[in-house]
Amino acid sequence: MKYWKIWSLFMLALAVVACSKDDTPSEEQNDSFNREAMLVNWADNIIIPSYTSLDVSLDNLQSETAIFVTTPTLGGLIEVRNAWENSYVAFQNVSMFEIGKAEELNYRNRLNVYPTNTSEIEGFIADGNYDLSLPSTIDAQGFPALDYLLFGLADTDEEILAFYTTNPNAEGYRMYLSALTETMATLTNTVLTDWTTNFRASFVANTSSSATGSVDKLANDYILYYEKSLRAGKVGIPAGVFSSDPLPQNVEGFYKRDISKKLLTTSITASKNFFNGKTFNGSATGPSFKTYLDFLNTIKNEGDLSTLINTQFDVALTEVNGLENNFVNQINTDNSKMLTTYDELQRNVILLKVDMLQALDINVDFVDTDGD
Amino acid sequence: MKKLLFTALSATIILTSCSSDDDSGTINNDVTAPATYTFERNNHSTVSFGGQTTRILMAEEIVSAFNDFDNTTQTSLQNMFAHVEGANDFDTAALNASDKSVRSKVAASQDFFNANATEATIIKNTFDGYIAGQVNEVFPNQNTAAAPGTAGQIADGTRTRYVNSNGLEFNQAFAKGLLGALMTDQMLNNYLGTAVLDEANNRENNDNDITDGDNPYTAMEHKWDEAYGYLYGTAANEANPNLTIGDDDSFLNEYTGRVNSDPDFNTIATEIFDAFKLGRAAIVAKNYEVRDAQAAIIRQKVSEVIAIRGIYYLQQGKNKIADGNQTASFHALSEAYGFVYSLRFTRDSQSNTSLFSRSEVDTLLGQLVNEEANGFWTVTPETIDAVSEAIAAKFDFTVAQAATTE
Repeated sequence: MKYWKIWSLFMLALAVVACSKDDTPSEEQNDSFNREAMLVNWADNIIIPSYTSLDVSLDNLQSETAIFVTTPTLGGLIEVRNAWENSYVAFQNVSMFEIGKAEELNYRNRLNVYPTNTSEIEGFIADGNYDLSLPSTIDAQGFPALDYLLFGLADTDEEILAFYTTNPNAEGYRMYLSALTETMATLTNTVLTDWTTNFRASFVANTSSSATGSVDKLANDYILYYEKSLRAGKVGIPAGVFSSDPLPQNVEGFYKRDISKKLLTTSITASKNFFNGKTFNGSATGPSFKTYLDFLNTIKNEGDLSTLINTQFDVALTEVNGLENNFVNQINTDNSKMLTTYDELQRNVILLKVDMLQALDINVDFVDTDGD
Repeated sequence: MKKLLFTALSATIILTSCSSDDDSGTINNDVTAPATYTFERNNHSTVSFGGQTTRILMAEEIVSAFNDFDNTTQTSLQNMFAHVEGANDFDTAALNASDKSVRSKVAASQDFFNANATEATIIKNTFDGYIAGQVNEVFPNQNTAAAPGTAGQIADGTRTRYVNSNGLEFNQAFAKGLLGALMTDQMLNNYLGTAVLDEANNRENNDNDITDGDNPYTAMEHKWDEAYGYLYGTAANEANPNLTIGDDDSFLNEYTGRVNSDPDFNTIATEIFDAFKLGRAAIVAKNYEVRDAQAAIIRQKVSEVIAIRGIYYLQQGKNKIADGNQTASFHALSEAYGFVYSLRFTRDSQSNTSLFSRSEVDTLLGQLVNEEANGFWTVTPETIDAVSEAIAAKFDFTVAQAATTE
């Protein structure tokens, strides 16, 4: 009898010890929402398909460029331009996912720093010597650099084509075009491959509530993108919100000129779709911020926060719809519409960055640098 | 009767001494500060700090020149630092004409360095070394990607940073170190000290309203203003500088403003300005007790600005490393490095020495930049936390409070 008592006590003690060993309170989840299911929905139904679509577009851009570089013709130039536009639109769907390999490679800044630095580009082409992996060259590559090379070199298509045919350094221009498209395709391929072979598994497994958990990190990346790249980059900065005068030369797609609205609409829609967990290029929705907020029964001003956010996305899209395709024109003729658009985008910054993060118990991990 | 008298006397004495103790926290007898930093004698403003404004402007140009790869040479940068009157060192003509030099006032305070030429020389040489390092180590690697042991470029979002082989940005070390070695040291350990304020016949002259030569101010008034000038010398509104605190320079003004935006410390800008105003009014009122009490407040608060901002940048850097991104920490850590360097020039109002000794500062710097291990390339979050805690330990705020501005 005695031994039995001692033995059960001993087992109990072991069990207690075993249980406490498993307890890592600072790393476990704080609520019972199924974070893994959300991460799986994000990775498999949104992120990887979006990157795959971009990867295909950029491969196409690279092959059209290869054809054009071999035999530059006006028809070939138009093919390259179309491939560029399709890729630029596809890029808007992935730009917010600056996590994992993309973060490591400074991916968004390798593909979309604007305004592009035309004198640096011309210098590189004249010199024939450049290293696009150097941080200082991010403003001489990517979509904006291609924008310049395809639409900005001259006023007419014939004059632009001449840079690639009869210009004394036509070879330099052709080589640079190739280098740019090759770089963009390679980088994207690297990011996609990392997702499909390596990163997806660790991403969906990292369900912790700490700042290094996947949900925390991607939430921060998402909001940083929305605030800085979308709201400020595409609208606020060109409209002069952060400067004494508007800066129309800082619009996205400056040289093609009539693409800015399409890029903005795509990025807002992508942000909204991600919020709702909507499958890329599909209609199904899965777990995402919306379902998480609803799970937590998050109310603001007596309404669901998720509904408020979605409504605000729609208000912003309506506002954008009233803009011209050509933002330079819009700014120069009626900038107040750009400012109204900015204000509507800004309202969701508050709802996402303050209200949503608070509800999800996520801390903001990015700060405004003090501009030094 | 005697007993009663004695009791009454003792009671009076006790009461008096008690009330003196009460007053010691708020010595403010008969001195009223004006609403703005405005002081006049015979309808002439007596406020003057042109030399300080000049040195701040010179320092701004020097720091910018650190990243002018095309035009800056070691000679040109050193000449800006140790400017000689009339030399064509700066873009601004007025600075070229000036007889002021930044280097001459680095580690040059009466209280700390009058009898410490050895250390003062080492400090000046350190800044010379940042200049030499930028030109000789970093400039040649302008188009190289930085790596452990190799100077060059680091990506920082859309910015490009240029670091030495330890991941340190020389321009940040220079700028944030100068904030301590020039602005702070001159303010806390020179112009606010009795050795300078009460030098020679300053007290007697101030008591008798004897002004300094043809100037409208007494020598003491002017010394106090010179302390003021190292914080507000480039303010948009010199008499009401807190309207734009944080925006007026890249040195003490900027970081006083930044610390003030942290809800944990959002009275610091007012406290410093009020102390400057009241101290200056005390000089006019010939009340030197009030004056020195304000100097003690300024010393404490400016020292806090440096410590808080140092911890802030340390923690910003640490967060990047904890996030798996070592190189993303280099910019914040470089700024932190300069602030830690500046701790040497802080002032303990009680003991009249710095809050951090030379060897304490050197130890902290050595922990951040382990020369044997490529400095920032290998520094760990644990080390950064230890340095942060060591700094916070000398104050009554926590690392957590200083770490964020939310």
